[in-house]
Amino acid sequence: MSKPIKTVVVVGGGIAGWLTAGRLAAKHKAKDPNGVKVILVESPNIPIIGVGEGTWPTMRSTLIALGISETDFIRECEVSFKQGAKFAKWVDGSEDDFYYHPLVLPQGFGKGDLAAHWLAKENGASTSSFSKDVCFQEAICELGLAPKTIRTPEYADVANYAYHLDSGKFVVFLQKYCTNALGVIHILDDVTDINTCENGDIAAVVTLEQGDIKGDLFVDCTGFSSLLLGKHYQVPFKSCSDVLFVDTALTVQVPYENEHDDIASHTISTGQEAGWIWDIGLQHRRGVGYAYSSKYSSEEQARAVLAKYVGDKFASLTIRKIPIVSGHREKFWQKNCVAVGLSAGFLEPLEASALVLVELSAEMISDQLPQSRDIMDIVAKRFNETFLYRWEKIIDFLKLHYILSKRTDNAFWTDNRSPQSIPESLKESMALWQYRSPADHDFSSNNEIFPAASYQYVLYGMGFKSDYSHTTYALDDVDFAQRHFAHNRKFTEKTISTLPKNRELINKVIEFGFNRI
Amino acid sequence: MTKLVAVDNKNHLNTRVDLSKIEQHGADLQLVPVVLSEFINLAIQYPIVLTKNGNTGQFVISAMLGFEPSENLFWQQEQWQGLYVPLQIRRQPFFIAPSNQQENTNKHNNELTVCLNTESPSLSNQTGEALFDVNGQESKYFHEVKELLSQLLMGEKENNLLLKNLTLMDLIQPMSLDITFANQSTTKLTGLYTIDQDKLGSLSNEQLITLYEMGLLPSIYTMVASLGQVHALINLKNKRLN
Repeated sequence: MSKPIKTVVVVGGGIAGWLTAGRLAAKHKAKDPNGVKVILVESPNIPIIGVGEGTWPTMRSTLIALGISETDFIRECEVSFKQGAKFAKWVDGSEDDFYYHPLVLPQGFGKGDLAAHWLAKENGASTSSFSKDVCFQEAICELGLAPKTIRTPEYADVANYAYHLDSGKFVVFLQKYCTNALGVIHILDDVTDINTCENGDIAAVVTLEQGDIKGDLFVDCTGFSSLLLGKHYQVPFKSCSDVLFVDTALTVQVPYENEHDDIASHTISTGQEAGWIWDIGLQHRRGVGYAYSSKYSSEEQARAVLAKYVGDKFASLTIRKIPIVSGHREKFWQKNCVAVGLSAGFLEPLEASALVLVELSAEMISDQLPQSRDIMDIVAKRFNETFLYRWEKIIDFLKLHYILSKRTDNAFWTDNRSPQSIPESLKESMALWQYRSPADHDFSSNNEIFPAASYQYVLYGMGFKSDYSHTTYALDDVDFAQRHFAHNRKFTEKTISTLPKNRELINKVIEFGFNRI
Repeated sequence: MTKLVAVDNKNHLNTRVDLSKIEQHGADLQLVPVVLSEFINLAIQYPIVLTKNGNTGQFVISAMLGFEPSENLFWQQEQWQGLYVPLQIRRQPFFIAPSNQQENTNKHNNELTVCLNTESPSLSNQTGEALFDVNGQESKYFHEVKELLSQLLMGEKENNLLLKNLTLMDLIQPMSLDITFANQSTTKLTGLYTIDQDKLGSLSNEQLITLYEMGLLPSIYTMVASLGQVHALINLKNKRLN
């Protein structure tokens, strides 16, 4: 056996760094003398970007894998529950224009094609909202209700959920937990140089105070600077700004009027003249930001749009400007170095893809961690294939939101629909979906970030029609459709009468905590 | 209906409690909260189970009296037919509440006081046990009531100790009951929890000693044994259905 992998060095102490270090340390027993040593080097002088405040339900399995108590996490990171996203003013921009992308799958999904029945407006489809007819979660969100009760065990649910979190507090929480409970070694120092081996591997990162920090695998979590993968290895960046036009975000933190104000249990995404505004409710404040394209809007115009959305308070808030360079590295794992987080790439936060990609990367690195150097290139190749596919799929899915819009108020929207801006893979899928709804076999990965259900929610939420006139037999199973539409109505009634308000549940978690069972 | 007022010998000098009506307070309880000190007495008739408080999500130890909401199978012919009546019933119509008598500066704010549910059907001015004698001195009966209340108060601490250790040692598991009654009707009970006997059997010596030293082991085994009373409860239900 060639050189065993005994030490992993993570460079960068943001959420990406700590989540990767934590997953590695938990699985590979960093605390045990026989385990893999996990070192996290972090500059004391570089601030954390802290982009992600929205997560996917994967965050629940990530926290479970780390052994974190959900109650502690909710108490310490200003966490609230997220049950998907409400997209307002994306179709035509009118006041009553909205649809949901909930986290619960459509009724009967995988057992039959309920979408076909809904499109035909037959057999019990009763409203003009796809998500409302096939999923009970929209009603829960519209009423500001939580996805579970205080009696539901931790990490279990009544309705599938993710979290909104304060990324600054989450970093502190993870740092404390990973160093205390998982045995991650934390070094605060500036990386000044990189030492390489003859084969081109990184031998050590050189730090200002503590000299060489040697390792067998290096994880680049250095954010936009991409110190190892980008600067050292010069792996090219593949821009997708020709597909996704948003290149700037203006963000503000909006306090609640009073501490008992409702907290929305979903992300609200509202279309604007040159982009869209996110609105994320945490326990102590809302995080609001305007993601826009500087080609179609000046910063002054953008500020005015954000000011109008936020209202009177806006004048007193601090505005932060974040550049969004959409795209990713051409590969993510080179030699004995793998990039996770912003160093690997970034996209506009339309579907909260940043943290989920960090989690999936950390999971795969930890799961596939090579035992020895001689097999690392195989793992690297597979990792690169997997994540190139995932990035492409996310780009397709984000673009889907734009090509289905009918807005004409600004060239931002009309240009977004020009064929040359649409990836071939998405065009192909759209061609298929002319005649049928998105199905599982449209997606080849067993760990698809956005499953066929997500595509259905966006397509039919935005008024797309699949034409079943050649395949009217798809509507034959009347009983299936009636049963599932009826079940959805019944379950909607039941859940809205039993679930507490989002704020109410959070307060109870803070006071009493969830039980483990 | 419950309306609590603090008991004193001015307002309640003539108040009497008709003991034969106290048990009415349990007439429509499916579950009644219990304390450790009565486990032995309970286990001869009732399954002792854990449920979650709807408001806090925290575990509550209860004796199970029926299979559906408001069903107390021990309530028959306007009487409690069980051999042992739980403290929570016998203490009626009295409760303990934090004292609000701020005018008395010698008292701490967290001092407790005995309250009376003025809506209780057991209250009377004519028949039953008096709380005070004509001179305003506490009666023997009222003294016994206070004993019961303090037993419950102490019991709450013991309950918390038990629940805390059961949780720490991961000894609680959900219990799902699928029951078919004599008339072929079925019921599925959820939201009940009990001791995980496999985990109980595989505790380390250290954990067992901890439970032993805290005096919790007998209660844990009594809880396990009491589950057999589910069959007795099914029998009662079958009789009622016939």
